[in-house]
Parts: sequence; structure tokens; C-alpha cells
Amino acid sequence: MTQPSVCRQRVVVNLDNGLHLVPCSQIARTSRRFSCDLRIVNGDTTADSKNVLDLMQLSAIKGTELDIEAVGDDAAEAIEELIALFDSNFDEP
Amino acid sequence: MAPNEKMINKRGIAVSPGVIAGPALVLGVEDFRIPQRFVSVDAVSSEVARFEAALDAVCRDITENEEVARRQLGDQYGAIFAAHYQLIRDPKLIEEIETLIRDKCFSPEFASSRVLRKYAKEFQNLGSRYLAERATDLFDLEKRLLKQLLGERREELSHLTEPVVVLAHNLTPSETANLDRQFVHGFATEVGGRTSHTAILAGALEIPAVVGIGTFLSSVSGGELVIIDGNHGEVIIDPDEATLDRYRDAKARLHSVAERLLSLRPLTNETKDNVRVQIFGNIEFPDEVVHCTERGADGIGLYRTEFLYLEKNAEPTEEDHYSAYRQVVSAFADRPVVIRTLDLGADKVPASEEFSDLASENTVLGLRSIRLSLENLALFKTQLRAILRAGVHGDIRIMFPLISSLLELRQAKMILADVMEDLEEEGVAFRKDIPIGMMVEVPSAAMMASEFAREVDFFSIGTNDLIQYTLAADRSDPAVAQIYNAGDPSILRMIKMVVDAGLESEIPVTVCGQMSSDPKFLPLLIGIGLRQLSVTPHAIPALKEVVRSITLEEAERIAEQALSLDLARDVEHHLREELKKICPDLIL
Repeated sequence: MTQPSVCRQRVVVNLDNGLHLVPCSQIARTSRRFSCDLRIVNGDTTADSKNVLDLMQLSAIKGTELDIEAVGDDAAEAIEELIALFDSNFDEP
Repeated sequence: MAPNEKMINKRGIAVSPGVIAGPALVLGVEDFRIPQRFVSVDAVSSEVARFEAALDAVCRDITENEEVARRQLGDQYGAIFAAHYQLIRDPKLIEEIETLIRDKCFSPEFASSRVLRKYAKEFQNLGSRYLAERATDLFDLEKRLLKQLLGERREELSHLTEPVVVLAHNLTPSETANLDRQFVHGFATEVGGRTSHTAILAGALEIPAVVGIGTFLSSVSGGELVIIDGNHGEVIIDPDEATLDRYRDAKARLHSVAERLLSLRPLTNETKDNVRVQIFGNIEFPDEVVHCTERGADGIGLYRTEFLYLEKNAEPTEEDHYSAYRQVVSAFADRPVVIRTLDLGADKVPASEEFSDLASENTVLGLRSIRLSLENLALFKTQLRAILRAGVHGDIRIMFPLISSLLELRQAKMILADVMEDLEEEGVAFRKDIPIGMMVEVPSAAMMASEFAREVDFFSIGTNDLIQYTLAADRSDPAVAQIYNAGDPSILRMIKMVVDAGLESEIPVTVCGQMSSDPKFLPLLIGIGLRQLSVTPHAIPALKEVVRSITLEEAERIAEQALSLDLARDVEHHLREELKKICPDLIL
């Protein structure tokens, strides 16, 4: 068996209203396309990135630093897509 | 059955006494009632299937909403519904709900409500206000699911078939008035103050009620056992056995005190040294006359006629007024019935829609009460005609509310004279010598009491508004409840001024308003010279006991001491201690 790949990347929330329901649902929808385990960490709180309710509870307001962690075959690809979401600022103006 | 480790204790303002325990009917955030909390083990798989079907239907609705929103409003609005879709399709959420149905035999309605409200509560604790407000999205989803699940079974407040206690964000006065007393045994609301109309109505319905609790509905799904303690202002959700026992005891004890007090009924309201004190009842509905007669009231000191206007969506006719007044006066053949003319804001009177644009946000200081009547003469004259006509059947008296200047009083009296002239011309029977009184509830009227006393036949001090206007504290706002205080020295002095003015002109003075229903204020009021009170009917027996337990000398000493104190807090404490000496078992 090959060692599953582990990826970790830090992002900063740049949304005026924080990571609210709409961006959380975009993250969850994107995450569910991948088979790897995906987590987002804010300090002591860890959320399953495929779960909207979990993500909301990160309570990530504007400026919060989050760590995205992925473990599994498509980890690198998944992280890349999530970073792209943050980079586009979730299509908010 | 569900375990009770989740007992929740909430505190609010006690507005109607008594203790009751019953299953909760939750109104407000949602209008749905969960009829059934548990299902039988055999039904579990069909109930899960029912839940999944409802979920599919909700998802179809959301998708439709999303398309419409994207087309008509733009993508960012459509995205909100896309988020709702993700949320309700969340595998973890669905699993949680289905587990409750499978393992605990929760009904799908109860399980969905429980789980969504649990998350809503967690959202409410999130780091920013904006995130916390997302709880609303969860309530929205809950509403959608319940609507699907309950379908035709949606139950309305007016179609109850078994006893409940109602928990609501707010109840409007008309909702409160229409509560079915057979099944609604108590209620508790998140907003409201001691003297809001809803609170006054709860007293009239004689069901235990607590208001101004603050946010608590998110912790209740409906169907839970809830205790409402209308004496202490407590609401206990899912009480444990020990608490339930305590409440059963309290209920029994209250019952025995009430029985003893009722036995005072045939006795006269007089002090130990034979000073006669008249105790009248305050009523809202004609039916309530019974509450007064069965407790030995000396008459009706305040008949609030507002509910004639609130009950229907149309202006009451002269006959509507007349038959209500006649019903009240027939119950009191020889005793006085004081009818107060309309005391509402322009926003509440259907016929005054033309004025409701003028009604500013702060209706308390706006066009309401006698001011509205004087602006809307047709409405005013209809009521005056009915009062005058009913006057031939008994001792009816008329009272104008919210008088703030002599000019206003004179205008009102002039219109009354016009109406009399009309009736005379038409040959309709009416009471020509009807006594005319006014409420003293605006500080300007209290300051000018000596002048007013020469132009009316009686005063009635409306403490609820007088306190609100004197201390500039909104009576329905829990945030300023500490400031709104009947024991404030300024209020005691104001009342004394009015009583003195009445004595000087030899006209009777009554105190109506919540203050006079509170037994601890009674010795003080008698001590400063009052001989008439008008109170919530259920307070009559306790007040009678106080009257019959003191002497005038004692009352005067208590009043003198109270008037020498600087702070409302000290006045309250003093009066409470004195009452404890006079009638210990009236201290709740």
C-alpha cells in the first residue's frame, strides 16, 4: 500500500460577513466531490469540510486564519480547489 | 418517555397569578403545533419513509425557489437557496433526525424540530452577529419541514382539543382575548411588560401568565411538560420529579389560602375601626362581571371598552356598545359601573385608518385615547350615545381617559352635551344626570388636580400610565422595568396631590391600575386618604383581608413613613415588611 498523501494549507477569510451559510455550502459542495478526508481547522475547532453545519461552527469572521487539511488520494487536488474558492472570495463582490 | 435531565428554568415578569403544569404549545417563531412527540415501535419504518418523502418535497420547493430567485433577483440570491438545499441535504443532519426516529421513537415532526433547533441554538452562540442570525435559516427549514409533515394537520390556536400552556414570542391583545379558556391553561411570552395589554388580559382571563422572559423559544419544540408559575414569574421546561412535587404542593397551598379568602365575601370592606373602603373591579369583557360579583365587589370602577373595538375588524355599532354596557349594568342593580371611553392608539382602531398614517411610532405620546375620540367625532358620539342610553338601567358613570388639559376636558364635556341634546330631540331615553369623571394619568392633570376637581364629579388615578409618563419609562419594555416602579416617591407624592385635591372639592377619588391590586400598597393608599380602589377581580379577596386587618391609625403611620423615604427600593421594602406583619400569608 502506498502512503496516503497529506496536504495542509493556510487561508484567510476575506468575506465581510465571515464564513456564512452560502460560502459554507459552497465549500461543502466542492469537498464532497473528493474521496479524501477534508478538515478545516480554526484554533481548537475542527470542522468536517463536507458538512455545512460543521463549517458554520468554525465561527470564522473576516480575518480569521484557517488551516485546510486533506488526507487521501486526491488530497492535493481537493486543497487546490478549495484554495481557488477562497481566492475568488466565493464570488462575492 | 424522554428523560428529564434537560430541565430549563426561565424567569420573567409575573402578570397573572396561579401555577399550572401542562404540555407546551409553541407559537411565534413558527405557527405549527407538533401534535405527537412519539410514535409506536411498529410505525418507525413508515415514519422514516414519511420523513424522507417530506424531505424530498422540501428539496423540490427549495430548488424551485432557487430558480425563481436567480431569474428574478440575481445569482447571489439564488445562492441562499442553494445553501439551504445543501444544509437540508446534509447527511449528518439527516442521519441525526432519522436516528431519533428509529432509536427513540420520536415522531418525524418532533425529531426534525429538535435537531434543527439544537443547531439553531449553536448558531446563535457563534462569534459574530451576522453568523448568529443564520439561525433564522434553520428556523425557516424547520418551518418548511413541519409544513410538509403536518400538511392538513396544521393546528390553529382556535382548534384546540386538549389542555395546553401556550409559549409564544408575543401574543397580541386580540389573540389573548380569543384564547380558549377551556384548553389554554396558562401562557408565557418572550416580550411584554407588567402592564402591557396582553398582561392585563391574562389577569382578566384568570390564567397564570409570565411575560418578558427574553429569548427562550428556541429551546422548546412543543409537547414538553412546562410549569408556569404566575406568582413568581417562573417558567420551567421539562421539570424533574422533585420540582413537579414542589409545584403540586404550592398549588395546594394557594388553593387553601384562596378558599379562606373567598369566605370573606359576605363581609363588608371596612377597617378594624370601621372605616369603609370601597373595592371595585376592573373589567374588559361583560362576562367578567361574574368574577366581580362572586367576590363581593362594590361595583365596577373601570370598564375598559377597548375590546369592543379589538374583537372585530369593524367599528362596533351603537347597539354593540349598548348591549355590552347593559349586560354589565344589569349584574349590578344598585352599585356603580364606571365606563371609560375608548383608550386606544389610532393604529388599533379600524375606523380610524385615515388617522393611522399620522400615528407616529411612539403612539404612547401620540394621537390616542381621548385625543383620538376628539379627532373622530362620529366614533366618539356612537359610544357616548350607547353609554347614555344604558344609563337608564342602573348607576352608570362615564369617564374620559388621558385628559391632559382643561381644554380637552371641556371639549369632551361639550360633545357629551351635544349628544344629550340629540337624544333629547329624538325622544330616546337616557340618563340626564350621568356623573362625569376623568382619569388622572398624565402628570399635567395631576399638577392641575385642584382646577380639574371643580369640573368633574370624580377622579380615577390611572397609575399604569401615570408611572410611565412621570418616570419616562415604557411600561412594556423589560429593559426599563427597574425604573417603572409604583413605589417611586414621585408617584406617591403625585397620588397624594390628587387625593388632596379631591378631598378639598369633595369629589371621590379612586385608584385603578395595577398598583391598587397589589396588597402591599393598600395600607399606604388608605393612609393618604383614599377610600376607593378599583382592582383586578382576582385581587379583591386578598385586599379585603388587608382592609379588615388594619386600623386607620396604622395605615396613616405606614403612609407617613413611606412618604419620608427617598428611594423606590426603600418604599417597596417598607411596605412589604408592614404587610408581612398584617397578613403574613399574602406574601408569596
